Amino acid sequence: MIVNFDNAATTFPKPRSVKNSVYSALEKYGSSGRGGHAIAAATSQAVYSARETAADFFGAEPENVVFTLNCTHALNTAIKGIMKNGGHMIISGMEHNSVARPAAALASEKKISLSIAQIYPEDEKTLESFRNLIRSDTKAVVCTIASNVTGQILPYQEIAEICRSRNICFIADGAQACGIIDIKMSQGINILCTAGHKGLYGITGTGLLITDGKYKIPPLMQGGTGNSSQSLVQPEFLPESLESGTLNVAGIISVQSGIEFIRNIGISKIFSHEDRICRRFISELRKNKNITLYRSPAAEYVPIVSFNINGMKSEKAAEHLAEKGYCLRAGYHCSALAHSQLGTDSGTVRFSPSIFSKESDSVQLANEIYRLSKNKL
Amino acid sequence: MIEYIAEMPSYTYAVKAERLLKSRKIRCEIKRREEGCGYDLHIYNKTALSILDKNAIPYELKK
Repeated sequence: MIVNFDNAATTFPKPRSVKNSVYSALEKYGSSGRGGHAIAAATSQAVYSARETAADFFGAEPENVVFTLNCTHALNTAIKGIMKNGGHMIISGMEHNSVARPAAALASEKKISLSIAQIYPEDEKTLESFRNLIRSDTKAVVCTIASNVTGQILPYQEIAEICRSRNICFIADGAQACGIIDIKMSQGINILCTAGHKGLYGITGTGLLITDGKYKIPPLMQGGTGNSSQSLVQPEFLPESLESGTLNVAGIISVQSGIEFIRNIGISKIFSHEDRICRRFISELRKNKNITLYRSPAAEYVPIVSFNINGMKSEKAAEHLAEKGYCLRAGYHCSALAHSQLGTDSGTVRFSPSIFSKESDSVQLANEIYRLSKNKL
Repeated sequence: MIEYIAEMPSYTYAVKAERLLKSRKIRCEIKRREEGCGYDLHIYNKTALSILDKNAIPYELKK
């Protein structure tokens, strides 16, 4: 028996329609935006259709949808592009290393100055953190919509409004939110970065950078784009300016299929299903005094639950649970900043369901955790 | 019939323009540019160009 509760890393299993779309793409498509023959034309049309699907889903123009390798690639492109000429940047204290590391690297190279905003369960305190850090040379604010450690939803729309009123570029990391809550560019997001393989149910090796077009993003890398090849200068038009090299066509088609899968079910139904499982799991864990849960009644959460068995390292707990067939993620979840804020020196165990998860499995897992916590003692 | 050739900055814009015009029953087709890598939109109706302009689709008129 294998039960996956590590969907915040990558959703597994994938919908049948997504699997079929990948097989079909491999049967029908070649390179996109290269050549004029039948295979190239069909592939290019299919990739454009995928752009349209994503654009419609997030409220953007198709040409402003850039396909990337993953969310990290999208965030590096956005951060290093927007901060290319220096300035001050603010990131939240809940950021994944996909934001924190490129930001820290730019700062250590003295290319930018960097501030980290403390995050609180109360939105107003969090907003005050951001307000207090803004300077006259602040160019960008990067903030996750939902923490990949605790699932806390940050007040991203209010942060976006603070940025808009001061002409600061707002970059949102939607890795744990897209496909779970309804994210739209009209919520004040200038650049949205997300993974294709998490809540959007695409395959690994897929990500998205979506821009409202307000801020020009210089490319992270240059190369073949399929047009203006006689020039040594990288074309300026999106999305090709940020899509050098052959695209992951099968992956892109899988993301399109994943978005259609979400649409057919409905985002609110997906959220309700996963949230119900989390609430049940939490209520079971709360019966156990040896469990510490990292949730506050003052905050709102996407369907992620972080916990620890008191007196047991998170990795050890996850290892024991894996032996029983439960897949959970332990440790720091590539988010040192978040764990520093939480004070979780040896990390946490993270539970994250998907639309395919069952409430009964979460109860059985909670029972297993109960047994584990007793045996430890 | 007069044929207008709009040089498109990318395949993405070529398809965007093509789908926009076809949704309005205006005939057009994407063709690989004869010289240099790129894509042109072949249009047979001048009003199509004003539709592209109104929708802020960039192009350069070749002919």
